[in-house]
Amino acid sequence: MGPFVSRRELLLGAALLLAAPMARAGAPLRIAAIDWAMLETLCALGLTPVAATELIQFRSDAVEPDLPADVVDLGLRGSPNFELLHLLRPDLILISPFYVRHEAALGRIAPLFSLPFYVRGEPPFEKALAAVKALGERLGRSDRAEALLKEIVGEIEGFRQTLAPFANRSTYIVNIGDARHVRVFGFDSMFGDMLARLGLPNAWTDRSRFTFAAPVSIENLAADPDARIVIVSEVPVEARSGLRNSIIWNSLEPVRKGRVIQLANVNPYGGVTAGLRFARLFAEAMLAGDRRG
Amino acid sequence: MTMRAWSFLSASLLASLMLFALAASSQVPFSQWGDLLAPPAELTLDKIILAYSLFPRAAVALVAGAALGLSGALLQQFLRNPLADPSTLGISAGAQLAIVAATLYVPEIVDGHRTLVALAGAAGAAAIVFALGWRRAFEPVTMVVCGLLVGVTAAALSAAMTLARGEYLMSLVTWNGGSLSQQDWSVFQSLGLELVLLGLFAGLLIRPMLVLGLGDTSARSLGVNLGGIRFAIAAIATALAGFVASAVGLVSFVGLAAPAFVRACGARRPAAIVALSPLAGALFLWLCDSIVQTVARASSENFPTGAVTALVGGPLLLWLLPKVRSMEVPHEARESVHRGNLKIAFAAFLVLVPVLVAIAFVVGPSGHGWKILSWAETLDLAPLRWPRLLASAAAGGLLAVTGAILQRMTGNAMASPEVVGVSGGAGLGFAAALTFAPDGGTVVVFTGAGLGALIAMLAVLVFASRRHLPPEKLLLAGVAVGSFSSAVLSALLAIGDQRSWQILSWLGGSASTATPATAIFLGILSLLVVAAALLLSRWLTILPFGPSIALSLGLSVRLSRVLLLLLSGAATGAASLLVGPLSFVGLVAPHIVLRAGLVTAPQHLAGSFLLGSILMALADFGARTATFPYELPLGLFAALVGAPYLIWLLGRHR
Repeated sequence: MGPFVSRRELLLGAALLLAAPMARAGAPLRIAAIDWAMLETLCALGLTPVAATELIQFRSDAVEPDLPADVVDLGLRGSPNFELLHLLRPDLILISPFYVRHEAALGRIAPLFSLPFYVRGEPPFEKALAAVKALGERLGRSDRAEALLKEIVGEIEGFRQTLAPFANRSTYIVNIGDARHVRVFGFDSMFGDMLARLGLPNAWTDRSRFTFAAPVSIENLAADPDARIVIVSEVPVEARSGLRNSIIWNSLEPVRKGRVIQLANVNPYGGVTAGLRFARLFAEAMLAGDRRG
Repeated sequence: MTMRAWSFLSASLLASLMLFALAASSQVPFSQWGDLLAPPAELTLDKIILAYSLFPRAAVALVAGAALGLSGALLQQFLRNPLADPSTLGISAGAQLAIVAATLYVPEIVDGHRTLVALAGAAGAAAIVFALGWRRAFEPVTMVVCGLLVGVTAAALSAAMTLARGEYLMSLVTWNGGSLSQQDWSVFQSLGLELVLLGLFAGLLIRPMLVLGLGDTSARSLGVNLGGIRFAIAAIATALAGFVASAVGLVSFVGLAAPAFVRACGARRPAAIVALSPLAGALFLWLCDSIVQTVARASSENFPTGAVTALVGGPLLLWLLPKVRSMEVPHEARESVHRGNLKIAFAAFLVLVPVLVAIAFVVGPSGHGWKILSWAETLDLAPLRWPRLLASAAAGGLLAVTGAILQRMTGNAMASPEVVGVSGGAGLGFAAALTFAPDGGTVVVFTGAGLGALIAMLAVLVFASRRHLPPEKLLLAGVAVGSFSSAVLSALLAIGDQRSWQILSWLGGSASTATPATAIFLGILSLLVVAAALLLSRWLTILPFGPSIALSLGLSVRLSRVLLLLLSGAATGAASLLVGPLSFVGLVAPHIVLRAGLVTAPQHLAGSFLLGSILMALADFGARTATFPYELPLGLFAALVGAPYLIWLLGRHR
């Protein structure tokens, strides 16, 4: 935990500095983001929070948006550091219904703004778009939000045209848990929803199977032998050789025929930024594969 | 073994076979099974799945179940404790710590050498426990307590390690929750070979074990090398559990349920129990796994088998409970504890408490290590700090008093609120509140948890009071409820939606969730509970001597036990709302107080209360500062504070 101490020192130093009351008059709104999807939405609107949660993991798992180094890490999403948050004197705290448990405590520190992104069985991208609009209105940035929404629609349309030649084949979107298990993204996930918007059929017709413990055995991917498999986010190091040697994995038709696409890390519980990042990485990978073969 | 036992086993075999045949033939019709042995490249995918997934999965279920059954049977004979199973020796937690540490710091080694890493961890944990137990010639109770504490410390360490790296999810759901799904025959081959070898060794040890059953003193007088035999048995049991843990993850309850089932069916000789437990374990695990697979196909909800064995095993054990023969343990004379100086002990408490309060309010991590806050800063932060200080101190006091009550009442050194299943019940209530009133908010959730604790307690009460509430049965009932609860929670985690999120944060129990209202509530409740316990201290003085003495002194054993249990349940339910299900303050504090020489019931109760409060307040201070700004779970940190101390104490005393 060596490097941790210095980072921690930096953080509190920054926190105490920022807490100085003089910096307040006429300054822009000091916003703290507890929920990652809200954090993304805020950044997409061109604003930077003073603090957000679990930044070590956010930087490695979500990658985008690139956050400045002076954003204070508030600790875990499940138990954010209220004391540090209090010292930062935020004007507004962004959460989602996932944080109902902390609403009372957070509400005592600053006003809350909560928007839903992920509801079981409902496609999330529409909610992510609505969040851009709602947060833009709340922060007086409606123009920026409108422009952003137009931009997003345009980008998706562009990716859709790019990917049109690939629409004849359905796609499994998975995330590797260990050598025997995957998480599968269905229509009610950000990636599944985005796939549908790009005009490609999802090979997984059921709800998403994404939990902390990877819930789906690999042989479940055999149901559609004509599909391609898209692996979102790096395969965990400890699973790599197990997966390479797995008889079942290697017998899957898409694996035999080389129809497996590996994408870089994308936040599975993100907002518009994560959705677009997935679309862009996917389109790039498909085109690169097309040129190769 | 009775006829009925055999019919049970054959019914279970038949059911598993039928479910398996159903699954296998729906994958590939029987008529096409001819070429299954051909190389995989020539097979269709359906046949590959049948030959390299379904078949090996059934085989692994049988082998793993047998290994766990054998391991549990050996441990139970060896420790003469019907509650012993691989996890009470800290074996699984040791394996888990090794895997977590290796995954975080040297992930390349875990890739391909997972078994070795897990085994090294399991062996390391077992070695510590045996080294401590060796000083007391492997005295059973000491071993179990040591094992439990080593396990808790290992679990707390691995969680703290992952949390400090900012990996929240991994810390709580560390490694696949006992899924038996297979890709080829390699797991079966290695596990099968290990089981056969270790099973042969166990066979050689059955005769000496007969002698062991007589009790230490008599065995020694017959010239049996106690230490050597116990070491061999423990090594075999550890290795078996370690192999299973590394092959398929945590599969709970099989090691506990199989020998209990065999014994309930009338097997008495150690040889018979050890020989039949693997059979029972194998069939039990296979049946559970077949059911899991059938449910998965029918509903597309895929639960880890490890969680389901507990789901099935918990109620099964409750049902078996009235039939479980209390193991006849020849009681050794209780060693005399030196009487400590009361004045010094209480003076130490009186000095410690204000110091602790001061530290909690004015010290904080700052830009450069530690910082004494200014008066203005202290006032600024006080509204955030006093609720969590008061709440954690009250919760610690509640758990510790409950632990003292339960340990005195049952005469069992392992008794603690967690073991009696009340925390588990609170967890169930919490989950139920989330499921049925998802938008209810804090009040509904807290009410749910309180009701859950109460119901769990009543369940334990009803089942254990059938006869005269012998301590072993009470604890078994508690373990069953607790394990059932954790099985439900992990099943909900596997479903994975907003509920899982909240359950995770409850499992991680941080004191930062304490509000002024909950803090004051817990504070008042803790004072009431300790006052009530002190009023009942005469009972707690008499009860440890056994029911016959209590009766002869005119005490209604049943009434006193019911009242004490109600008190314990209310106290634990309230405390575990804050702390989460995992804290060993309730086990540790009464032990420390007793060892420090506060031996009479009022001293023991009051001392436990104070020490429990202090430990938990310290734990909260550590939890919020050790890896700032990442807060560690309070319960885990409490275990990290208390457990090593008790291990040291157990090793030091003779």
